[in-house]
Amino acid sequence: MNSVGEACTELKREYDQCFNRWFAESFLKGERGGEPCGDSFKRYQLCVQRAIREKDIPVDGVDFMGPNKDKPES
Amino acid sequence: MKIWSTEHVFSYPWETVIKAAMRKYPNPMNPSVVGVDVLDRSLDTEGRLHSHRLLSTEWGLPGIVRAILGNTQTRTYVKEHSIVDPGEKKMELCSTNITLTNLVSVDERLVYRPHPDNPEVTILTQEAIITVKGVSLSSYLEGMMARRMSANARKGWDAIEWIIQNSERENLPLCDVG
Repeated sequence: MNSVGEACTELKREYDQCFNRWFAESFLKGERGGEPCGDSFKRYQLCVQRAIREKDIPVDGVDFMGPNKDKPES
Repeated sequence: MKIWSTEHVFSYPWETVIKAAMRKYPNPMNPSVVGVDVLDRSLDTEGRLHSHRLLSTEWGLPGIVRAILGNTQTRTYVKEHSIVDPGEKKMELCSTNITLTNLVSVDERLVYRPHPDNPEVTILTQEAIITVKGVSLSSYLEGMMARRMSANARKGWDAIEWIIQNSERENLPLCDVG
């Protein structure tokens, strides 16, 4: 699957592999731990955020889940 | 405004369906989704996983509609927030389009839960609210969008089944070893 930023697709693939493994093998099995795949996520995010700015995609300012105290800060 | 809803039963346990739902794209049934990115992901204090994703889609409005609306843009972005609660065995997913909002809004909500009497089976309930802005074309377009929702929902179910069958059959490791 491609990223919105053409340059980010490889970083996304790396992160997705890490996340899918954590999700299936740890999270769904009830293991509680810290943030999954932190380093690859950070690298991927820097790339995606740049692409979103360049393409002027309005990702902020939409809060469609409504008020939710549990909602993490994005 | 048009409200649309449906329900679907998967003959797989919740965990299997959720794993497929999380990695649903790409699949041959939804070629209109051309990109998926995670914008934010975190665990809350109750151990639930929140994911905010950005989907890049090609809606492919019919040419006649595009001509009338004067809209040439076909790339549409959708923001999605999902919550997976492994304790309660519930996955909830809400999405809305963040572009073309001057023309139409499609707000969708999906909930995956195990069947109350049969843990080997998973129920997906799905609802959407479609609102087309403006006057003259609203009801025509809303009807068209609702029909498309039904067709897309079926494709979505097929996609989940396809992911499950492919990942179960191949059973390949997610990462290269060595």
